[in-house]
Amino acid sequence: MSPSRNPALAMAALDDQVLAIPEGAAPPWWGRAIACTASVTALGFALMAWTVYRGIGVWGNTSPVFWAFDIINFVFWVGIGHAGTLISAILLLFRQGWRDAIARFAEAMTIFAVICAGIFPLLHVGRPWLAFWLFPYPNQRDLWPNFRSPLVWDVFAVGTYFTVSLLFWYVGLVPDLASLRERARPGWRRGLYTLLSLGWRGSATQWAAFGKAYVLLAGLATALVISVHSVVSFDFAVSIVPGWHMTLFPPYFVVGAIFAGFAMVILVLSVAREALGLQAILTWDHLDAMAKVVLGMSCLMGYAYLMEGFTAWYAQDAHLARAFGNAVTGQYGWTGILTLACNVAVPQLLWRRAWRRSYRVLLPVALAVTVGMWFERFVIIVVNLHQDYLPSSSRPYVPTWVDLGILAGSFGLFFTLVLLFVRFLPIVATSELKARGDHA
Amino acid sequence: MPDPKPGTMTRRSFLGTGAAALGAGTVALGSTGCRGRRTAVPYTRRPPETVPGLATHYATTCPAGPRSWAVLVKTREGRPVHVAGNDEHPGLRGAACPQAMAGIQALYGPGRLGSPTLRGGPIPWPEAAGALAEALAPAGAGVLAPAGAGALAPTGAGGRALLLAGATTSPTRLRLLEDLGRALPGLEILAWAPGEGAGAQAGALAAYGAPLRVRPRLDKARCLLCLGADPLDGTDPAASRAFAAARRDPGDMIRLWVVEGPLSLTGANADHRLAVRPSRIAALAFALARRLRGRHGAPLPPGVAPPEGPDPPEPPPALLDVLVDDLWACGPGAAVLAGPAMPPEVHVAAHLLNAMLGSRAVALEPAQALATPGDLAAALEGARAGRYRALVAWGTNPAYASPDPDGWRAAFAAAPASVWVGSEADETASACLLRLPEHHWLEAWGDHRDGDLLTLQQPAVAPLYDTRQGEDLFNEVLRRLGHAAPGDHLARLQARWREEVLPLAGPVPFPRFFQAALHDGVMEAPQAPVRAALRGGAVREAAAAAAAAAASPYDLVLRPSYGVGDGTLASSGWLQELPDPVHKGVWGAPLSMAPADAARAGLAEGDQAWVQAGGGRALFSVHLQPGQAEGTLAADLGHGRKAGPARGVGVSAYPLLGAAGTTSARLSRGRGHQELPATRGRDPLPGEAPARALHRADLPALVREDTHHPTLYPEGASPGPRWGMAIDLTACLGCPTCVVACQSENNVPVVGPAQVARGREMHWIRVDAYGLPGEAVFQPMLCQHCEAAPCETVCPVNATNHSPDGLNQMVYNRCVGVRYCANNCPYKVRRFNFLEYNGGKAEPEILAFNPDVTVRPRGVMEKCTFCVQRIQDARMRVQGEGRGLRDGDVVPACAAACPTEAIVFGDLADPASRVSRLSADRRGYHVLDGLGTRPVITYLARIRNPHPRVAP
Repeated sequence: MSPSRNPALAMAALDDQVLAIPEGAAPPWWGRAIACTASVTALGFALMAWTVYRGIGVWGNTSPVFWAFDIINFVFWVGIGHAGTLISAILLLFRQGWRDAIARFAEAMTIFAVICAGIFPLLHVGRPWLAFWLFPYPNQRDLWPNFRSPLVWDVFAVGTYFTVSLLFWYVGLVPDLASLRERARPGWRRGLYTLLSLGWRGSATQWAAFGKAYVLLAGLATALVISVHSVVSFDFAVSIVPGWHMTLFPPYFVVGAIFAGFAMVILVLSVAREALGLQAILTWDHLDAMAKVVLGMSCLMGYAYLMEGFTAWYAQDAHLARAFGNAVTGQYGWTGILTLACNVAVPQLLWRRAWRRSYRVLLPVALAVTVGMWFERFVIIVVNLHQDYLPSSSRPYVPTWVDLGILAGSFGLFFTLVLLFVRFLPIVATSELKARGDHA
Repeated sequence: MPDPKPGTMTRRSFLGTGAAALGAGTVALGSTGCRGRRTAVPYTRRPPETVPGLATHYATTCPAGPRSWAVLVKTREGRPVHVAGNDEHPGLRGAACPQAMAGIQALYGPGRLGSPTLRGGPIPWPEAAGALAEALAPAGAGVLAPAGAGALAPTGAGGRALLLAGATTSPTRLRLLEDLGRALPGLEILAWAPGEGAGAQAGALAAYGAPLRVRPRLDKARCLLCLGADPLDGTDPAASRAFAAARRDPGDMIRLWVVEGPLSLTGANADHRLAVRPSRIAALAFALARRLRGRHGAPLPPGVAPPEGPDPPEPPPALLDVLVDDLWACGPGAAVLAGPAMPPEVHVAAHLLNAMLGSRAVALEPAQALATPGDLAAALEGARAGRYRALVAWGTNPAYASPDPDGWRAAFAAAPASVWVGSEADETASACLLRLPEHHWLEAWGDHRDGDLLTLQQPAVAPLYDTRQGEDLFNEVLRRLGHAAPGDHLARLQARWREEVLPLAGPVPFPRFFQAALHDGVMEAPQAPVRAALRGGAVREAAAAAAAAAASPYDLVLRPSYGVGDGTLASSGWLQELPDPVHKGVWGAPLSMAPADAARAGLAEGDQAWVQAGGGRALFSVHLQPGQAEGTLAADLGHGRKAGPARGVGVSAYPLLGAAGTTSARLSRGRGHQELPATRGRDPLPGEAPARALHRADLPALVREDTHHPTLYPEGASPGPRWGMAIDLTACLGCPTCVVACQSENNVPVVGPAQVARGREMHWIRVDAYGLPGEAVFQPMLCQHCEAAPCETVCPVNATNHSPDGLNQMVYNRCVGVRYCANNCPYKVRRFNFLEYNGGKAEPEILAFNPDVTVRPRGVMEKCTFCVQRIQDARMRVQGEGRGLRDGDVVPACAAACPTEAIVFGDLADPASRVSRLSADRRGYHVLDGLGTRPVITYLARIRNPHPRVAP
């Protein structure tokens, strides 16, 4: 099934097809696309600067909804990253050959998503210039962070995740960067690729070391797929807010993250596949396999939602019951219904093989899942916070245009980074495909 | 303040003059040291009593028109920073009122006029006083004014002058007004109190032929019936205090019956509340009188015939029987109070009921004769007809707070001579040629009558601006016109006290007596009991008027706002942002109406509606108030200022003020929709009981429920105190006094209507109201200082943590602002500085800050500290005295100000402390006990006292 087994695709042709993209001139659509995404990014950064200048008050956050778009966006983007890690690490360990063609792309998306996510914890604090106090660095005041706080765990979890993902992605890139170096004409590009390829010559010793390092990092990243979003979910599960305080949250968050991540990979990869003419390398088999993962995760999400309801009923706790009720009724009921529709109902279309292999179905479904997963976090954070224990404290939440602008800006940043990636780096791990071709 | 005006105060000059003048002026009593010192004096010699870093307290009095509050002013380095109730006052014992506490804000407010002006240009004081004398002088009188002061040029106009003076409780000021009236035959003086309503005085005039006032003496009451009266609104802390004291013993509790149209704070506290249209309350009151006679043979006052008339259609007669039986059973302990907004016949009926019951829980006392809206209208007519050469407003603002504000504004603008004497430049000031700024009450001398007490008013600070004591201006007028007058108001005051008050104190030298009186600020000076006979004719006429009450589309009730009062204090952000105790609205007030009426009129919450009444009309936002009687509209006076810092906030209801109390009104739909900012939450769900209450009858069977929550963290007492609090919800009447006290003490910022609408108010203590209208429980909510505080575990930087003495501490400069603590606080008492709420503040406004408390920057979380600065202060104090802390040494601002002693603070480690004993009470419970946060605040369930014969 693997595309590398296609005898029509010679190794040289693979190089020509993949490595030619960074070597050649920018296609006309690329300039237009990046102009678009970069402007949105600029808008987002301008609004972030405004936030730092004036304070969190320019957002819609209020009492009792002290967290809103800031943490929704954080959880959303961290979640998007999970698909990349799952594809590159877990599927590697499980020897799923089909992953090779998409792993590089998915890993890059992980890095970019975590960059987008990392902005928000920094930006959302009241005094961002003091955010470094969350790090346990030795200081003369003998002050340490509070190791009981899930936010400190977050710092470690997300920090580790970003570091390992970056290393994993970069180690995998090294042989391909060396190929680019070999193919490049003398000039700044060749210098750059020489620098980045770290003296890779493709010797057997180097391949042996590469293989060990890659598997080692894959092992580390595998643990992170589970741990990162579990720790992120602790921000909620460890608290006593009704609707947050549930043991269900860690697996529920991990599943949600993989779900959202695969949907995003399907969206972006489909576009890249068509735009860059990589239909032969990134085949319908890949998209079909990812769609199956989305379908499976969707069913797990449905189960998680059911379990939330069961917990609310079984606990016989009025506050929890109200929190669960608020998710689908009342002022914000539409967000919960939208979440259920997008995350549970719509993906059921993917049971049919033909629809998994049709952009007309697959892309709307992936888009719905992306929207649904963003709103799921809205339900978890805003809807649960706006009414908690004391009736007197309940107040509605309304976002401001700054909130919306920064959300748009984070998407702009993500797609800008993706566009830079497809333009300047090998988007498919040619070395791995070649290696697999050898074994075929 | 980029370009300081002459007479403005900068910090340096302020500190210098403040300290020097305080040392010389108020401490060495009798000198007039507060005047004329405009030079900075460095601390080469420290003034006695002023120790930098230590507070000095002065007993003084806050005048507020027809009432006054004895207060204790805390000053630091010569500047007042906090106003509390006077603890020597037997009726207050430290209880304060929000309006008095907000005096700090008015003192440093941006709206004050700094120096006298004539036609907008500066004028020296001697010339200004000369111009005032000229304006008030009888035609043809030679004015001893300096040359050039004839700038008002009032020649050729009519011969009379009109002085509109604010109401006062000051006997010495009344004496001055009498002197003025005697000395200046062409001067008409009207005393105007806009928020008082005309009904009470008209009723007293009809019933007794004199402007008597009813003073409730709730310490003697066993059963209280309020006919549209709101004595527990917080503006009479002594009444609230006495009422709560009469409810403290569950075996012998006062019962409160309230008959009213709109839902008031007193109504919310009632054991039985009958929602009745105000125009039908008189008929109901006379029906009670008939029943008193019919069922119990209550004696009628001599010469009074039984009042005739039909019974009101509602409430059911059986309920009236119960009410009458209850009143009769209490006999002299029963009291009937009629509200100021009620028409005269209700007041007459209340006088009759009190007389029939032989009530000793109300006392009649003489009161200043106030102008009625009719008097004011006649004066305005006269002004339009050119009757007055000069119009003078002193401490009153007819161009805003009168039934015809626009008419008065035009009259002042058109008068040949118009003079304004006041503190904060207002609507009338802007229409006047001559503007004479007078001292703020914290800078002035005075004395006040408070029932059987006399209170003194002394300056707590040297004048901040180039202002004068208002009375001194008129003393000078008298002198300039060749009449005998004392050198200044203090001299007049002392002379009067020497002659009239000193004899009450016995044989003591006057200086010692006066110094002692100044120190205490209050002294016993019983008034002769008023002997007045109820007039039979008045009762007959009132009963006829009650029976003939014509049906109107709506009855309109206008009452002073719970926060800004009659509008005089509208520039105070604390009061503007003080949630209304009933509907929780801030920054303006809505038109309250019954939901059924709103449904009929097709109006929803926030819809705009025109109200036409009393010859004027105004556009309000509608608020649907459950519990309000159908056919009743209610609006607050005091909003919609057109000048001063509060201009444009809310809608003014003054144009609707009719001639006598309740007026009939028409309602029509307006365009648009504008919900007012409010701090309302959601309604509790069925089964959700965040605050507890029980019937008195259920008390014997009550068992204390306590949950012991195991914890993984080490438990065990650390040596030293363990601070805690007990809040008795039976005593808490829901007034917002604690909120303002806390705001003043802890530098809590005012955030403005837009931020409150977003839910970002900063109050460290709030009064949660549940179960309105019928089953109200008021539950003050502040940081619970949980022993297992959920906020502490989640803070990533340890910015909030626990002190060894049991305080949940907040370290502002360690706070990064992740807000996790606030999410995890189930009581939602943590407040986040979403923006720089203290930014842009300049002198003199920042002088109101308490120097012992950090002013928090943006991005930082804050919350109640149990007034940790007061704990530290007490620690240092007792160390100096060589002893340990005793129960009662530490009193947080909220507990100190609470009129009803609902809040008790102290050491839970000491089993004998008041707070320990209260915390062990059977009624005690912890809010959200099931969460295992182990709060150190114990709430004592509210006891209701319904009549056994009324089914609950």
